Amino acid sequence: MKQVGEAFPRCEDGRLLRGKARYMADLAFEGLLDAIVVRSPFARARILSIDASAALAADGVVAVLTADDLAGVEPALTRQFYSLTPAFTERHQVFLGPYREPVLAGDRVSRMGEPVAFLIATDRRAAEDAAELVEVDYEPLDPIVDPLRAIAPGSDLVASDVPGNIQASFRIVVGDPMSAVEAAERKVSGRFRIGRSVGSPIENRGAVGVPATGSEPLTVWSSTQIPHILRAYLAEFLRCREEDLRVVAPDMGGSFGGGIYAEELLVAFSARLLGKPVRWLEDRRENLANARHSRDQIIDALLAYDTSGSFRALEMRIVQDCGSANLFGLTLPFNIASHARGQFAIDHFDVTGLCVLTNKTRNTPVRGAGRPEATFVLDRLVDMAAIDLGIDPADLRHRNLIPAREMPRDMGMLYRDGAPMVYDSGDFPDQLRTALEAFDYWGERRRQGEAAGRNLAHGIGVSSHVEATGLGPHETARVEIDDSGTVVLTCGSNPHGQSHATTLAQVAGETLGIRYDRIETRFGDTGLLERGGGTFGSRSAVTAGTVVHGASVELRRQVLDLVSEMLECDPADLIIRDGHVRPRGVPGISVSFAEVAATAGERLRAEDEFVPPTVTFGSGTHIASVAVDRETGVVNLTGYVVVDDCGTVLNPMVVDGQQHGGVAHGIGNALLEEAVYDEGGQLLSGTFIDYLLPTAADVPDIEVIHRPHPTPLNTLGVKGAGEGSTASAPGAIANAIADALRPLRIEINELPITPQRLVELIRAAEAEQMKGPPGN
Amino acid sequence: MTAGLHNIVLTVNGEEVAARVEARQTLAGMLRDQLELTGTNLGCEHGVCGACTVLLDGRTARSCIVLAVQANGRSVTTVEGLAHDGEPLHPVQQAFAEHHALQCGFCTPGFLLTTVEYLDEEPAADPDSIRERMSANLCRCTGYHNIVAAVKDLVERRTAP
Repeated sequence: MKQVGEAFPRCEDGRLLRGKARYMADLAFEGLLDAIVVRSPFARARILSIDASAALAADGVVAVLTADDLAGVEPALTRQFYSLTPAFTERHQVFLGPYREPVLAGDRVSRMGEPVAFLIATDRRAAEDAAELVEVDYEPLDPIVDPLRAIAPGSDLVASDVPGNIQASFRIVVGDPMSAVEAAERKVSGRFRIGRSVGSPIENRGAVGVPATGSEPLTVWSSTQIPHILRAYLAEFLRCREEDLRVVAPDMGGSFGGGIYAEELLVAFSARLLGKPVRWLEDRRENLANARHSRDQIIDALLAYDTSGSFRALEMRIVQDCGSANLFGLTLPFNIASHARGQFAIDHFDVTGLCVLTNKTRNTPVRGAGRPEATFVLDRLVDMAAIDLGIDPADLRHRNLIPAREMPRDMGMLYRDGAPMVYDSGDFPDQLRTALEAFDYWGERRRQGEAAGRNLAHGIGVSSHVEATGLGPHETARVEIDDSGTVVLTCGSNPHGQSHATTLAQVAGETLGIRYDRIETRFGDTGLLERGGGTFGSRSAVTAGTVVHGASVELRRQVLDLVSEMLECDPADLIIRDGHVRPRGVPGISVSFAEVAATAGERLRAEDEFVPPTVTFGSGTHIASVAVDRETGVVNLTGYVVVDDCGTVLNPMVVDGQQHGGVAHGIGNALLEEAVYDEGGQLLSGTFIDYLLPTAADVPDIEVIHRPHPTPLNTLGVKGAGEGSTASAPGAIANAIADALRPLRIEINELPITPQRLVELIRAAEAEQMKGPPGN
Repeated sequence: MTAGLHNIVLTVNGEEVAARVEARQTLAGMLRDQLELTGTNLGCEHGVCGACTVLLDGRTARSCIVLAVQANGRSVTTVEGLAHDGEPLHPVQQAFAEHHALQCGFCTPGFLLTTVEYLDEEPAADPDSIRERMSANLCRCTGYHNIVAAVKDLVERRTAP
């Protein structure tokens, strides 16, 4: 039965719809204690003293831990998330300075919200009440908030061992960009700013530490995207073996970007110390201030081209504001660099990336992770060039897209995993044509002209992106048939909304000849699987899908071998349908999976690991139309089309859902979301009243069209689909706004495009026009 | 009566419930901690995200900013009350499943109850009003497209001759 590619309903939905999910706060533990983090109110300060005596005397308080209490463990995170190959480091001139993120602050704090003490009480209310009694004597220092000032000579240092506040840097040179820029007839350039944003899952973070008992090791339950990686960090922190730890991720209410957090380490430490389960549940104010933030770059960029409209060279300098510590190293700016040329043939390329420390919340890759930033900058440059050349942006795009006949195309640099960066598959011109047709682009252009002069300004914007997906280093899965004949699928990649229990079961079910909804699925538990990767970087369909397929093929072989012995026939003459093995063309003979399991001496199981050769490139083209109110600066999205290439589509309903959600996230980044700090390093956007997520009224209907070109890099032909749609939304919307306001020649170079910013731009442009044309 | 504790009686999902609560206990806290109805999720605890939406005497309320004592003598419907164990899904739940209107599911109980209230008002199947009404709740996964489609389908089914 064909299952891959079918829009089957989800296995997850029944329990979620009935309110039977078990998210972190729903889990019950015997004798559970609740913890609160006492956090720094200052962006930068010396800690002179901490007095917890009043808090310790308060009702229900069990312990107050400070840095001094963290005996026998590593006091700080010091290992960055990804390792880089020596060849990569040399080729792209990588500098990596020291990384240090204290679990609890010692003698100083480097950001508002930094954990200073961990207070544990019999229940949440007692903990919250007592947290106010912890007296910390701070000597505030002037914070370093602006990344450009941070890298200016003579700046104070965020970390004393990071000179110049540059924690990491790289440079990529492809071709001969200097000569190409010099020789090019035309250029456009600008400084682009991408606002700081927060992943904002609707469930906040949480973690529970459960002490070891006779048979069970010390266990950490955490709303983490990366259970196995968290276990490795926990082992380093606690100075124990990974085998002595278990990490479980329960149901999760989204995630969108994560990492390793001090609270996950602290619940483990305090559970071990106190011999009782210790839970920490984040609230929304904590999440907005302390969940790792993302985006937040200043990008100087230049596109050089000929009067014929042929792109010659792209130059970029990326200043990445990392906040107070940089767990993810080069990831964000390098992602910008590796996605910066998008779908275009640009042979000469020069990009520098700087990871800069400031006294703000530290950062992480959040949905898109460099792709939206890169795509926004490139989209803007292309439309600026189109205006300069006096041609339609869609035409200019067509002239410069990499043609399908040039695929696969080596992009002349290495990807982060050290492999040559190659666009492996796709047909970009077809994607653009499809999008233009679906949107009725040329018809809309005509109608736009007819509507001109009204109070609302109408505009259309196009964006195209590539999306590196399926990052390694590895993913593991086991598929087995238990004694009852049930197929059980266990995978190291754990879901938080992505529908693994449906899509991965479709892959296994088609291979094994059993309906996907009869397969039992298990995720997110290091106790069930020795190795695992996780869910991030649009990797799960690619890596988990491929490894589930591989394990299922092997299990099918085991089943057929066994039944061929039972029936004394050739395995090639057997078919499997609905969990029964039958000889082809012989009615009446059938062996159920339960009978197979009973006959097998030992359990039938296949475990496999997939190590992807490198990433595979998905891609997409978006067209958005907007109506801009010139008086208020309010932008309404009036139309939205997505054409997507994520290779083989496992379940189109699920992939469409990923596209819709990704576009909405991109709309948030384009128009609404911004984590704002004042000059003192105080976060001003600490609630959902100040930090605006898009609502149903902010998002238009989204038409999604699939134009799949399967990748040759895995057996399923799958490319990832989780982040690409976030990548193009800001560029498409920014271009549409600039297009709507084209008579005013407004440059949209800062995200989010809030009504306030847009009104300021409109007023300034109107004032400029009132002065009349320039004198020359 | 112990100092600081209040006796309240209310109807939850059709059953009368007596509880002793602190004055500061929220309705969400009481539902989750005392009645073990953990389908009501807390997303922001400041009344914006709508994940904790319940029906209070048939109207939506954010149970994170309603005190339990304020629910005394009143009727509360949570997600668990839409379809009891063993019963088929409520039509609104069914429509959400059919349209893939949920991904992680955390905001879903709130959306379901917002939709139940909306349908009770016999609305027109107008996408703009559906979007406006659904903007009471935040979802980070679905981009709302399929939520709006599910609600529109429900409205159309209701108004179909």
